Amino acid sequence: MPDLESLMCGYQQADEAAARLFIERVSPLLLRYFLVQPNNRRFADDLLQDTWMRIHKARHTWRRGEPVLPWIFAIARYTSLDSWRKSRRLESREIQVEELPERSASTSSSRAPDLDAMLAVLPASQREVILLLKVSGLSIEEVARATASTAGSVRQKAHRAYRTLRALLRGKNVEA
Amino acid sequence: MKPDPIDDFLAKAAAPPPDAATVRAGVERAQSAVLGDLRPVRPLGSPVRSALLFLAAFAAIAVLAGLILGPHGFHVLSALQRVLIFSALCVAAAVAALACTRAMRPASGASLSFPSLLLAAVGFPVLFAFLFAGYNTLHFVHEGIPCLVAGLCVSIPTCLLLLPLLRRGFVLDRRQAALACGTLAGLAGLAMLEIHCPNLRAIHVMVWHVAVVLVSAVLAWAIARLAW
Repeated sequence: MPDLESLMCGYQQADEAAARLFIERVSPLLLRYFLVQPNNRRFADDLLQDTWMRIHKARHTWRRGEPVLPWIFAIARYTSLDSWRKSRRLESREIQVEELPERSASTSSSRAPDLDAMLAVLPASQREVILLLKVSGLSIEEVARATASTAGSVRQKAHRAYRTLRALLRGKNVEA
Repeated sequence: MKPDPIDDFLAKAAAPPPDAATVRAGVERAQSAVLGDLRPVRPLGSPVRSALLFLAAFAAIAVLAGLILGPHGFHVLSALQRVLIFSALCVAAAVAALACTRAMRPASGASLSFPSLLLAAVGFPVLFAFLFAGYNTLHFVHEGIPCLVAGLCVSIPTCLLLLPLLRRGFVLDRRQAALACGTLAGLAGLAMLEIHCPNLRAIHVMVWHVAVVLVSAVLAWAIARLAW
C-alpha cells in the first residue's frame, strides 16, 4: 500500500488515482479530529470540505521528504480556528430571543460526555495538543510542526493537561 | 512520554472512528470538488531560497532608497559603526525573512514573527546606545518626525512589494505573516535611514529610527487583524 508521502507526490503531479486514494486515507482522520471538538462537531462535514479546498490550494507548499500529517493538520487546525472566529462574529450580531428553542436530540452528543466535560476544563492550547496527540495519533514532533510550536512547548502543554485530567479523573473516581 | 492511566481513559472516551456512511459522503464530496480541478503543481522552492528572495528584496529597496535620498549618513559613520550596524541589520533581516518564509508554508516550524520584531526592537536601541552618544532632546521631535515619515515612506511600499512573494506560498495565519512582513519592511526603512540620515545623536537614532520598524510591524499586524 503506498504511503501518504508518495500519494501526496502523486496528488501534486495530478495523478487522479493517487489523489483519490489520498482523500480516502486522510478524510477519516480529519473527520475524527473535527468530531471530537465539541464546538466543531455540528460543522464537521463542512469543515472537512473546507479543509480539502485549502489543502488543494496549498498543495504546492508541501515538499517531498517532509511529514504529510503535520502539514495537513496545520491546515485543518486553521480551518477550524477560522470557522470558530466566524461563528463568534456571527453570534455577537445575533439578537437574543426571549424563549430558548428546545434542543434537538441530534445536537447533544451521547458519545463521551465525560471527555467533553473534562476537556472543556483545559485551556484551548492544551486541549488542542491532547487531541492531536491522543485522538489524531501524531507524535510530539509532528504536533509541534502542526501547531507552529516547539517540541518542548508541546511536551509542557501535554504534561500540564495530563496533570489536570488526572486530578479530574481522580475526583470522579472518588465521587463514584 | 511515560504511559499514563489517563491514556486509557482518553483512548476509550475519544470519538470512535466516524461511521462509514458519514466518511463515504465526506470523501465523495471532497473527491468531486478536488478531482474536478486537478492540475499538476510545481512544489515551492526550498525555504532557504524563499528567505534569500525576501532578503534580496529588502536589501535592494533599502540600498536603492538610501542612494536616491543621498548616502549622507553612511559617509559620517566610522568603519566600526558601519560594520556593526549593517551586520546587525543583515542578521535582523535574515530572521525576519525566515519568519516570512515560515508564515507562507504550513507546518514549517515555530513562528518567528514576534521574536524577529522583539530582536529588532530591543537589539537596535542597545546597539545604538553602545555606538552613539548624545541624549540632548533639543529639536528632538522636530528632527525626528521627518526621519519617521521617510522610513515609513520606504517601509510601506516595501511591505506591498513583499506581499506577492508571500502569496507564492499559502498563508494560514495572516496576522503572523503580516507581522513578519511588516518587520522586514520596517527594517528596510531603518536600513535606508542608516544610509541616509547624518544625525548621529543616540537618542534620535534609538527612538525615531527604531520606531520605523515598530510602527511598520504594528501597522501591518493591525491591518491584517481588521481585515480578517
